Amino acid sequence: MILSGTFTFNGPRQKVWDLLQDPGVLAKALPGTERLTMSGPDRYEGVMKVSIGPMTAAKFDVTVTLADKQPPERFTLQIDGKGGVGFARGSAAVTLQEQGDGGTAMDYTSDVQIGGRIASVGQRLIESVSRMMMRQALEALDRELRARIDADASGS
Amino acid sequence: MKPAPFEYFRARSVEEAIDLLSEHGPDAKPLAGGQSLIPAMNFRLATPAVLVDLNEAVGLSDVTAQDDGLHIGGMTRHRTLEQSETVARNAPLVTAAMPFVAHAAIRTRGTLGGSLAHADPAAELPAVMLALDAVFTVRSRQGARHVRAADFFTGLFTTALEAGELLTEVTIPPRPVRSTYAFQEIARRHGDYALAGAAAAVAVDEHGRCTSARVALLSVADRPVLAEHARRALEGEPPTADAINAAAAAAAAHDIDPPGDIHASSAYRRHLAAVLIRRVLERAFHSRETS
Repeated sequence: MILSGTFTFNGPRQKVWDLLQDPGVLAKALPGTERLTMSGPDRYEGVMKVSIGPMTAAKFDVTVTLADKQPPERFTLQIDGKGGVGFARGSAAVTLQEQGDGGTAMDYTSDVQIGGRIASVGQRLIESVSRMMMRQALEALDRELRARIDADASGS
Repeated sequence: MKPAPFEYFRARSVEEAIDLLSEHGPDAKPLAGGQSLIPAMNFRLATPAVLVDLNEAVGLSDVTAQDDGLHIGGMTRHRTLEQSETVARNAPLVTAAMPFVAHAAIRTRGTLGGSLAHADPAAELPAVMLALDAVFTVRSRQGARHVRAADFFTGLFTTALEAGELLTEVTIPPRPVRSTYAFQEIARRHGDYALAGAAAAVAVDEHGRCTSARVALLSVADRPVLAEHARRALEGEPPTADAINAAAAAAAAHDIDPPGDIHASSAYRRHLAAVLIRRVLERAFHSRETS
């Protein structure tokens, strides 16, 4: 499945970049993340719980690797998740561009394969679920960004 | 395929069901017809710790036409809705949509409340209730509250229902004068999850001008969607073929951003939505002489 889009952050590019490299922030922003820790340079491991409405949360062991880093402009993510109900693996390319109004536009394109039981019974829902999680994550990241900018402003 | 272990309670009344649901909180699920919940449990995609069976709870499956609209109990079977003359007279859109709800065997068990609370984005009844501007009665230990269909469906399989709450009744407002209806969907095989579908409830004034045009779409988003652009384009206008075409095109372009899957791409779903909106509107407006 290919999922792509653009999201505008309300803050400067360097700050967005820093945010995206912070496992603590990512753990808070990615929906259902129970734990995300750095296990090596540009490599994170953790546990994510994905639940959709009444469906019981499915647990995934997740490994995220960052590559092709060109700060503060672009990087790619390798994602590998395994759980009792199936697996997800794929990659995402992220580009950050400064906007005239002080915001930062993030273009993302991801190609993720999903397999196992979750794919055989939930195929028709995968894109909706992915979109929902992406939206929740980006909105949470933007809130975190605003909080940081406000904290900087009141601290200086 | 067997479900994970769970505790089972058979409620004899709505009050008992509500008490049980509130006692067990988010671990408990009401069991209505079990046509979605039980397969999900057997796949172990759902593992509720407690089931509260509503099938013996009295007073949840009445269908009555009253001054403020048609009242339908949450445990009313699809099959009852399909065959009820009271429903056909007061909410013909429901009758029109019923043959598209899964298969006959499923309809003998499946219930209205179960289908609405499950909130599958491809389900027919949530879209039908949105088109009809129905109001859902939700009861808990704190009492009853009323939620409009437009506010009830909040996302993929997600509704305004909180833990401990039960959808007990649906009220469909009385039919306006000169109102007509149509339902259509497209599925690869009859009974499959629809690739897209549309439910229309329209009304005209004595000059034939459109006074209301509510088209609800299914299977084109994470929840049923009202074709707002179609409504705005048509209300106050004579529903000519050109007006209907323009309304359908505007709604398909602006009201939805459909997800794609192996069965249909996003662009194909958008195309289907435009075709279906046009067809249900044509059918609804042109059948007005007969109602």
